[in-house]
Amino acid sequence: MVSLARRCCAEITGTFLLVFFGAGAAAMTLMIARGTIPATPFNVGIGALGGLADWLAIGLAFGFALMASIYALGRISGAHLNPAVTIALWITGRFPSSDTGAYIVSQLIGGALASLIFAACAGMDAVSIGGLGATAPFPGITYGQAILAEAVGTFILMLAIMGAAVDERAPAGIAGIAIGLTLAGVITTTGNIAGASLNPARTFGPYLGDWLLGGANLWGYFPIYIIGPILGAVVAAYVYDYLWK
Amino acid sequence: MKCYVCAKDGRSTDAVAICIVCGMGTCMEHTIRQEMDVWEGGYPFPAHKIDTTIPRMLCPDCAAALREE
Repeated sequence: MVSLARRCCAEITGTFLLVFFGAGAAAMTLMIARGTIPATPFNVGIGALGGLADWLAIGLAFGFALMASIYALGRISGAHLNPAVTIALWITGRFPSSDTGAYIVSQLIGGALASLIFAACAGMDAVSIGGLGATAPFPGITYGQAILAEAVGTFILMLAIMGAAVDERAPAGIAGIAIGLTLAGVITTTGNIAGASLNPARTFGPYLGDWLLGGANLWGYFPIYIIGPILGAVVAAYVYDYLWK
Repeated sequence: MKCYVCAKDGRSTDAVAICIVCGMGTCMEHTIRQEMDVWEGGYPFPAHKIDTTIPRMLCPDCAAALREE
């Protein structure tokens, strides 16, 4: 096994790819949709151009980035790219306690670097209009509903990870495609509830970038994207284990 | 089956192995045994090399060709 330092570099790189392309796609959609008049108050820009197809495009950007990262980095670090996944694997005894903290810090660093570099690439409109693709509950969605949506979405994602990758009986080589498309599907369906982060690092990056670069201060929503994903991932891991016993 | 390398030299020696690359039968003298590393794991766990190796038998020509890769 490669050293912890190199595995952490792989986690930084993978999370960077995920947030740069995924959250970047969300920011870009808002920038393109600027000036359109939303048909409903539930529409804040994503969905103004193509309805649910906007979310499908964002979901696929996330899914393809995750798929590429899994195939490129999976053998090096495991390509968790998500503190909720790391914590679920740790709690169920599949991942060592000694590496868990380092992985989570690496994922947060990767997310933060992605948002800052995306802002450098796309300009300040990416912050002021695109919000760097930050997630937040949509109009009419309560804090509790947002946590529930994040938990359910991450439950599905983690269940796919358990079935397609963690389980030794899973067919070899399909994990990247299966999990990438699962992420895309979940984002398409639940994106307009609370942004479908499913990943504390994916939300941390844009929040930090927005905060540092003079955008919106959204830290008050951050607990949604910690509690929901971790809860969903841990429950999914236990449910999968229970179902197979 | 006889060793192909020995047969080229005009000798008749029983083969004890078959080269996994070219299928040539080789005697004990001309069989090269290589130990192949085995990796376990991969997404979502880092891959690691296990202690056990897998042997493979090669003839001298294929072993030399693989060394040059």
